Amino acid sequence: MSATTAPMNLDVTGTDRVPMSRLAKVEFRKALDTRAGRWFVISILALVVVVEVIYAFAANDQSKNFQDFVQISGFVLGYFLPIIIIMLVTSEASQRNGLVTFTLEPQRSRVVVAKFIAGLTLGASVLILAFILAGLGTLFGIVTGGSPEWSLDGNLMFNGFVLSNVIGIFIGFAISMLIMNTAGAIVAYFAYSLILPTAVGILSALSSTFEDIAPWIEFNTAQTPLFSGDYTPTAEEWAQIATSGTIWLIIPLALGIWRLMRIEFK
Amino acid sequence: MINVEGLTRRYGNFAAVDDVSFVCQPGRVTGFLGPNGAGKTTTMRVMVGLTPPTSGRVTIGGHLYHDIPNPGRHVGVLLDASAQHAGRTGREILTIGAQTMGLPMSRVDEMLDLVSLDKTESRRRLRNYSLGMKQRLGIAHALLGDPSVLILDEPANGLDPAGIRWMRGLLKGYADRGGTVCLSSHLLNEVEQIADEMILIGRGKIVASGTKEELLSGAEQKSAYVTALDNELLTKALTGKGFGVSAAGTGLRVEAAPVDVGRVAAEQAIVLTDLRSADGGLEELFLTLTEDTQRDDVPTQGAQA
Repeated sequence: MSATTAPMNLDVTGTDRVPMSRLAKVEFRKALDTRAGRWFVISILALVVVVEVIYAFAANDQSKNFQDFVQISGFVLGYFLPIIIIMLVTSEASQRNGLVTFTLEPQRSRVVVAKFIAGLTLGASVLILAFILAGLGTLFGIVTGGSPEWSLDGNLMFNGFVLSNVIGIFIGFAISMLIMNTAGAIVAYFAYSLILPTAVGILSALSSTFEDIAPWIEFNTAQTPLFSGDYTPTAEEWAQIATSGTIWLIIPLALGIWRLMRIEFK
Repeated sequence: MINVEGLTRRYGNFAAVDDVSFVCQPGRVTGFLGPNGAGKTTTMRVMVGLTPPTSGRVTIGGHLYHDIPNPGRHVGVLLDASAQHAGRTGREILTIGAQTMGLPMSRVDEMLDLVSLDKTESRRRLRNYSLGMKQRLGIAHALLGDPSVLILDEPANGLDPAGIRWMRGLLKGYADRGGTVCLSSHLLNEVEQIADEMILIGRGKIVASGTKEELLSGAEQKSAYVTALDNELLTKALTGKGFGVSAAGTGLRVEAAPVDVGRVAAEQAIVLTDLRSADGGLEELFLTLTEDTQRDDVPTQGAQA
């Protein structure tokens, strides 16, 4: 503040907007600076370790390849990575610190982008750590009698490990933006990822018409070709991913962002 | 500096803020005063862009808040000291703010010092803070970016008397250096002590505004509380002049303006130890002006000044 003058006008020409890199850095920090956030990430990585150790003992020696371990850690993360994102996004509303966040950056869309960048960065970091843990798991597999192959199938790596988890991050983001409440969003996420596919499975078993329609409208079902068979979806399967993805990902995300732009943030 | 122009915010048919206009000048502390639910918080939320107005607008130094780049460097805001992640430490909350605004980390320590939160306290999580500590942290957060405008909603809430005195000094010094302060309160005494200028709001509308003197100039003073070394002598002298006198605590209540009581005492050479108006002053004015907007019935004859 200038010493004695009392201008009626605020001179803002010398101030730059908060750069996106800084906003994203702060959002990344916010994901890990509470006990809840930090321990959740640590717990997920610990769970990866536990599952891999169990696998190293339980699996038969021919299936103790690096690829198997990568698949397992990717599978564990598939369930929990979206929850990290949910906590990162919804805490603004549930813990009400959004009041400060949106006062320091009143362009709410920029905060959304920053959160997304932070979420992707955090997700990528966890994926890399999980990948390293898969390597350690493979080494442990040798101890338990395996003679692993270290080669990786490119499609499996990209679809099953990277793409599926990136989709998971998007899903977590979309659900959070739509529901904006930590507990509610987590419940919705599990309903989406556990109950919905089961329900669709039952309905598909009862009705062959529904079985044909299911992959077009249910995102989990549509994603199955990414993680099974030769990990290479056909053109039709990609189209199913796109249509069901629009329903479960794009629409909720658009609605959530649209709402956040307009609501009174309490 | 803060210019509220014809601001209205409706929720359905209910107008939380109804065509409110006022200005907060630089170099002055402007107190925004009103009973619960009068529209103070809504007005302040519109100021910083958290609530969109139904009509009208607020500019700060000529800009809409939304258009101010890195607003934390220009406008310090404290709307709700509890609206922070309960699991973050006080220091972490300030660090996040400083990082967003692009400030050196030394600023965090400076602010902690300024609001007298010591090292151990700053490492405690917000959920373990008392309301007063949260309020101090919130003020530290508002001042982080060295802004020239401060918008504080109920900043004295939860502060102890020493804390209120500290904040009064802080804000006064801030305004003396040219800063603009807009603070709200539902406690008249608080605002009376801190604010140079007062805006009284009730049920979404401004009912009065001005300095304390301006607000009081219209009010009549008809009774006084007085205590003398010799109350009996004073009673005799006052009744002799035809003023009604009754006992009140250790002193007397006189149905006369303080100036008349003082005159009688001077004539009779009676030593007074206390003399003040028994009319509620600002408080009475405030209650009268916001009468129809109060939630509870208030006994109009104040038992005590």
